[in-house]
Amino acid sequence: MQMVKKFFILLFVLWFAILFFMPKQALYYKLEEILLENDIKINEKNIEEGLFSLTLHDSKVYVKGIELATIEKIDFFTLLFYTKVEVNKLVLDPSLKNVAPTHIDEIKIAHAIWNPLNVSLDAQGSFGNVNGQASLLERHIRVDFNETKNTEMLKGSLKQDEKGWFYETSF
Amino acid sequence: MKHLFKPYIFKNILILLVLLLIVKLLWFVITWVWLPSSGVEHVGQKSGKALYYRVKLTPNEISAPTKPIKQATKKNGSIDDIVLLAIYNAVDTTVITVKHKGKTKVLSRGEDINGFVLEGAGRNFATFTKAKKSYKVMLLKSKGKHQNVGQSSAQNTAPSVSNKPKKVAGEVVDVGDHKLVDRSLVDHYAKNMDDIYKNIGIGELKDGNNLKGFQITFVRKDSPFAKLGVQRGDIIKSINGQEINSYNAAFGVYKNIGSLDNLTLVIERGKEEMELEYEIN
Repeated sequence: MQMVKKFFILLFVLWFAILFFMPKQALYYKLEEILLENDIKINEKNIEEGLFSLTLHDSKVYVKGIELATIEKIDFFTLLFYTKVEVNKLVLDPSLKNVAPTHIDEIKIAHAIWNPLNVSLDAQGSFGNVNGQASLLERHIRVDFNETKNTEMLKGSLKQDEKGWFYETSF
Repeated sequence: MKHLFKPYIFKNILILLVLLLIVKLLWFVITWVWLPSSGVEHVGQKSGKALYYRVKLTPNEISAPTKPIKQATKKNGSIDDIVLLAIYNAVDTTVITVKHKGKTKVLSRGEDINGFVLEGAGRNFATFTKAKKSYKVMLLKSKGKHQNVGQSSAQNTAPSVSNKPKKVAGEVVDVGDHKLVDRSLVDHYAKNMDDIYKNIGIGELKDGNNLKGFQITFVRKDSPFAKLGVQRGDIIKSINGQEINSYNAAFGVYKNIGSLDNLTLVIERGKEEMELEYEIN
């Protein structure tokens, strides 16, 4: 019993140490480098490092050098067994208004170790609420639209089944 | 001697501290070897807006005409005497109905009235030439019936638009040294990016890994883009003086196209550099 207790204490300390000493900012810079390979750049006003999180404030997203979106807050949160990316107040360039909703209030992307092969996705915006899932094994994304308000610009890319309107793509 | 701490507690604390140290060292090595020390910053480039001003400030600019012409034609009759009543545009035919000195006459391209030769017609206007000058006559409903559109060298005129896949309102009219582009056409493509790529293909031109510019890969026949005078293989060098060597520069022009009245496109065709002039109205 004593050994089990000791093992769990060690495991907890190890878990905490990994998170506490994790170079979150440097890891984010690495992510920026990976995004750069796809011609995506994020310019943030400031970076705030927390115990379990990293928050970017007032970011601008550039794709192939074009400023396509501004994001008020991006929050990366991890407990190692549960990871979440939260995007708040995303505003797309008005020139994209014919292909996508330009104002998205919130996007949540989460991955949990108890569902390792799927990533969940939730978003809220002028289009209402959407829920989706990305299958890492099948490399497939499906996003269900719970409401269909202000989705005219997306109608060309949406499909319909018994559950309602949805968007699907592969990656 | 009495111990201040129980030896096994001290040993456990030491193990934990060593564990913390190992984790810290591990992260340190990962950071040092694998992770970058600074982020990627986007350095802003000049946007396409600047080119608009270049056109406006160029001395020999072809600006959107605002005043009706009153000169040049007084001797043998004025363009003001011609009233445009109706326009018919088909793929190969342009026919207009005009009223001149109380009489109605139907004209097709090449025919003249009062010395003014019909060159072409747009959605709501017709262009005439006389003594190497071009004149634009607006449909009767429109305000400001006549406009001088500058010198002309009586070249081929392609006034009608026939987009087989999707008919887009608006015309491109060749008036000799430049082309007149209907604003409605520009507005349509500014709002419907997809429609652009149905009519014209633009690919990257790279020098190694660096983007050098953009090249036209195809132009749909009879599309408004074909009437702009661009051809497959043309390399887009600049638009209104702004070098088009990045997506940002190209997108800058696209974003501001709605506010432009004049457009100067420099292309490289074969080994020759050409300048194409457009007036948007």
